[in-house]
Amino acid sequence: MKRNLLLLLALIAVGCASLSAQARKGLKINEVMVVNDSNAVDEYGRHAAWIELFNSNYAPMEISSVYLTNDTTKKTLYPVPLGDHATKIPKRQHVIFWADNRPTDGTFHTSFTLDPTKPNVIAIYDADGQTLIDCVTVPVLKPGQSYARIEDGKGDSHAAWAVRNGSNEIENDYITPGGANKIKDTNPKIIKFKEQDENGFALTITAMAIVFSALLLLSICFWIISRINTRRYKRKKMEAHGMDLTEMHPDDHPEGDSGEEIAAIVMALHEHLDAHDRESSVLTINKVRKAYSPWSSHIYTLRQIPNRR
Amino acid sequence: MADNLGQFWQLTGFANATWEHLVMLCVGLFFIWLAIKKDFEPMLLVPIGFGMLIGNIPFNPDAGLEIGIYEEGSVLNILYNGVSAGWYPPLIFLGIGAMTDFTALIANPKLMLVGAAAQFGIFGAYMVALLLGFMPDQAGAIAIIGGADGPTAIFLSSKLAPNLMGAIAVSAYSYMALVPVIQPPIMRLLTTKKERVIKMKPARAVAQSEKIIFPIVGLLLTCFVVPSGIPLLGMLFFGNLLRECGVTTRLAKTASNALTDIVTILLGMTVGASTQASTFLTKETIFIFALGFMAFIIASASGVLFVKFFNLFLSKSKKINPLIGNAGVSAVPMSSRISNNLGLEYDPSNYLLMHAMGPNVAGVIGSAVAAGVLLGFLA
Repeated sequence: MKRNLLLLLALIAVGCASLSAQARKGLKINEVMVVNDSNAVDEYGRHAAWIELFNSNYAPMEISSVYLTNDTTKKTLYPVPLGDHATKIPKRQHVIFWADNRPTDGTFHTSFTLDPTKPNVIAIYDADGQTLIDCVTVPVLKPGQSYARIEDGKGDSHAAWAVRNGSNEIENDYITPGGANKIKDTNPKIIKFKEQDENGFALTITAMAIVFSALLLLSICFWIISRINTRRYKRKKMEAHGMDLTEMHPDDHPEGDSGEEIAAIVMALHEHLDAHDRESSVLTINKVRKAYSPWSSHIYTLRQIPNRR
Repeated sequence: MADNLGQFWQLTGFANATWEHLVMLCVGLFFIWLAIKKDFEPMLLVPIGFGMLIGNIPFNPDAGLEIGIYEEGSVLNILYNGVSAGWYPPLIFLGIGAMTDFTALIANPKLMLVGAAAQFGIFGAYMVALLLGFMPDQAGAIAIIGGADGPTAIFLSSKLAPNLMGAIAVSAYSYMALVPVIQPPIMRLLTTKKERVIKMKPARAVAQSEKIIFPIVGLLLTCFVVPSGIPLLGMLFFGNLLRECGVTTRLAKTASNALTDIVTILLGMTVGASTQASTFLTKETIFIFALGFMAFIIASASGVLFVKFFNLFLSKSKKINPLIGNAGVSAVPMSSRISNNLGLEYDPSNYLLMHAMGPNVAGVIGSAVAAGVLLGFLA
């Protein structure tokens, strides 16, 4: 009964864990263009307002059945349809939704448009239609401007966003539908290391300190465990001898006999008892049947595989 | 007919061979010779050497035959995914965990610090690699050779510097094979005759419960400090738990025998095949081999020197023989055997094997932690 209860609890825990893992927290609204006069075109060659979503997780994310809306009082305005393989966003990748009120044109065409004359609230709700995944208020934008996160999926405050004019001359002013908002041609982490830790001293000292502390922790932990075990062993030994802890001789090994001592005792017993005179088992010769296979046939292979050892 | 023969000729290795191909084929043959004739790490050098032959047979890449290791969809490319995506090394670590007996380490936990000290080889080589002009991520990938752990070297280089992985893997395995040649002179140089005959106290008996607790506590402690080491450390300790818990003997046997053998064959062969002339015969490869050699020397020396330093704080009866310091690198059990042999050379009754196994297996953990640190900082 107790065992079944434990199993049930474990199953519930696993179930809860997988449920929480399904939450699409990593889905982010990443860039929005309200008035698209000359920017990206949809698969029909039309310009329309667009909303870029970004999967900030390091695993693919299925977004079918989440809701996209521009009105928080109507949370389930546009459900992302089921059954389209394109709704599975690869890790750290983007998808574009066209806010053109043409949902029959395809999965990525929403049932609403964005109003260029006033700020637009855009939100994503989870499949339950209640849990808010992400929300952003897009200010009034001029034609050709986008409102984008400075870095893909990062930050939730207003400061993490900026209006972009689409200039290719100015850094971080370009508009990137379906692409990374910050284009990285080098790994900034590595460049920083190269500049700030030219000789590698800082990394060496830090890394060695981490390696030492990890193994030191383990070492201390097992020193404590061995102490506890030794005390337990000592107590058991005393109990077996019917002695008190105070009666213990200093030459006794409270931590238990060493392997060498045990080996010596075993050998002495062997000598003394003249063991192995009569074995408990009997040696017989039995015919062993082996299934025939051409792969292991000695007839076909003719010789054994050489083995020098 | 003549046209057909001409076209066929263009597809043959003879028509496409360059001197670089021939050099690489010779390197592959040399590895096979080393393994069979000299018995240097045959389990690794035979697959790597033969992989070099497979990977360097010249062919016309424009023919669209999908046979090259870097051609998407080819059989070799599919097998190579285990290296490029980094999932062969953790599987090898599962096998290592299932094979490794941590008793010596549990019996004398302070020996873990020797395993930590030997990792200085990695970071010493990192600094020199930076001086030679490598970028920090490349330097980290090269430096891990000092950990004397082939799977770790492949794992880290596949993440930090995939273009250097072939040279790093070959260098790591070559030096592991050369441990019996590299380490003894360093050990002799750094120890006195008096130190070499230090007799260590026999290790205490370790309870089974401690052996079961070790992989669990080991995983939690090390991975909480360095989560980036989870793929390697997680599999290492998992394999060890399979071995020690007593109820999964069948799984432990599979992990330590069949699985390890399969992955070793695939890993060795594909790493060998990935060492193509264009990426292997470069100035960087020479630097990598030189840095790897240096990393091995620093690692062995720092292990021995650390034991000597540690002895300053220990009572006479608890002194550690510095000949086990070299075993802090994770070439298991080769470097332990070297400690033992050298110990016996100076005192035929001084068996150091079990004492050396402590720092040796600590070195496996230490190098995986060091790889995790480098991955965390430089990826």
